[in-house]
Amino acid sequence: MDIQFGLETEIGITRDRPEGIDVVAESIALVRSATAPGVRSCWDYRREDPHRDARGFRVDALRQDTDEANYFAQDASRPMSFAEIKSDLVLRNGARFYNDHAHPEYCTPECSTLRELFRQDASGDRLLMECAAAVDPGSDNPVRLYKNNTDFLGHSYGCHENYLLPRSLGWSALAGGIQAFLVTRQIYAGAGKYGWEDEDRFLHPGFQVAQRSDFFTELQSVDTMQRRPLVNTRDEPHADPARFRRFHVIIGDANLSPFATYLKVGATALVLRALASGAPAGKIPRLSDPLGALRSISRDPAWKWEIGAAASRRTTAIEVQRAYRELALEYAPPQTDEDQGLFAAWSEILDDLEREPGSTSDRLDWTAKHRLIEGFRESEGIEADDPWLRSLDLAYHELDRERGLFYGLWEKGSFRTPFPDEPEAGPGLRPPETTRAALRGGCIEKFGPLVKSAQWDGVVLQASGGGRIELDLNAVFDLGQVQAGLGVLAAAHAPEDLLSLPFAKRI
Amino acid sequence: MPDPIQKPRPASPAPGGGGGDGPKEPKVEKPNTDDLLKRMRKVDPDQARRYRQRTGE
Repeated sequence: MDIQFGLETEIGITRDRPEGIDVVAESIALVRSATAPGVRSCWDYRREDPHRDARGFRVDALRQDTDEANYFAQDASRPMSFAEIKSDLVLRNGARFYNDHAHPEYCTPECSTLRELFRQDASGDRLLMECAAAVDPGSDNPVRLYKNNTDFLGHSYGCHENYLLPRSLGWSALAGGIQAFLVTRQIYAGAGKYGWEDEDRFLHPGFQVAQRSDFFTELQSVDTMQRRPLVNTRDEPHADPARFRRFHVIIGDANLSPFATYLKVGATALVLRALASGAPAGKIPRLSDPLGALRSISRDPAWKWEIGAAASRRTTAIEVQRAYRELALEYAPPQTDEDQGLFAAWSEILDDLEREPGSTSDRLDWTAKHRLIEGFRESEGIEADDPWLRSLDLAYHELDRERGLFYGLWEKGSFRTPFPDEPEAGPGLRPPETTRAALRGGCIEKFGPLVKSAQWDGVVLQASGGGRIELDLNAVFDLGQVQAGLGVLAAAHAPEDLLSLPFAKRI
Repeated sequence: MPDPIQKPRPASPAPGGGGGDGPKEPKVEKPNTDDLLKRMRKVDPDQARRYRQRTGE
């Protein structure tokens, strides 16, 4: 696939007996307990500008700036610097791991294949559990980590996706063209939830398909925490802004099932490729009320997902997804075996969801969760509104393999994997070999103590002879460039040896 | 990339599925291992009630 992508996952954190805990302190301590090879507190925030909008302007303030200021004021009482609170760790696989206000966040490195994303996402889960074991060993009140998106009280936290796209795909064509796709993909990408919520409050019991669909009030916005949008308009490509844009997707659940992640990211990348290839606006599905459809699909108890399309027509989420699949087949036809498998899996899941949604419980989180918990509810005689169901829902997402219900299902072979030949233990923290992440991670591994700062698009190293050397990675997306860089890095004895690279310079 | 299908698929649609004749009760199956049942019974019914997070992004 020629679109690179990655995931940013905020993790829920608590203790067995959570009374009185400070989740921010817990998150900081967890991130700081990491012993995985990496470089601490070198993230270069100067290269970020969350106020620049892809629609062609710069905002003076974000709605969340007030929240940020409040958090900053609260955190000012902590005996820690800003850098210590963030505790950024750039890992040798090119990933970023840090405290995002009150949640440990693991950002995968850039990947060019779904197999790589599978490995990197799994590496993050393992890292998190290593940290949970290390943060307070032997405690009678252990840390619990949840790869989910809600606390059932109206507080949601994200699993964002990033896709690197050509700048030639205009913002309005992009944001408008993918809208109906993002609203409807929850039928296979949702993680399922026992409860309906609104911002800052629980509404009532009831199962729905997605964890996050209760929380979106905008189609697009530069904000991400208040009046949450489906897509973020922040114009921060982490790449040459004349050639690239980063498409930052806010709507989406954290998936435990690797197959759900494979479908979610893979199908999204195919649709984006079709849009970038010039799929005409007239062929793109449109919804009459996208935000209303988002909720109604998630909450539909019949699992038929009927929604309004343009021109007062009725359609279904499955029909919309099929239309996008046809569009992708026409404008982004399969180029690789991975593409072929993905198109087949996408088609199969839509057919199965239409025929018998429960038959997808070997691939999808929401159907697996529903099947498991409803079976338990019947066998134990639990009422449909019993709060225990929310606890079981939460337990589905627990990352501890000895306790988490997803892992209970996984270990008895209830889930398919998109990559059956991939070792479950994974390769450890090793970067994707096909993207610039290999250069970032390689610098971390080889010259860790000399890395002065790092970002997605650059690494600055202390030269052993004095001064600094910058690797400018903002246009390093060609496989040949990456491989040439890795060759030079392998032979280098000191950062100065990297100066033969065309994207390295003294600063 | 290999075919993502790992396990054999059922030969025919599950009973009660599809048909297009209106909403049906979702198919529900009971979990079939004692280990998983034990794991579920150990879940504290109050765990979600005590679970508090800050809003994220």
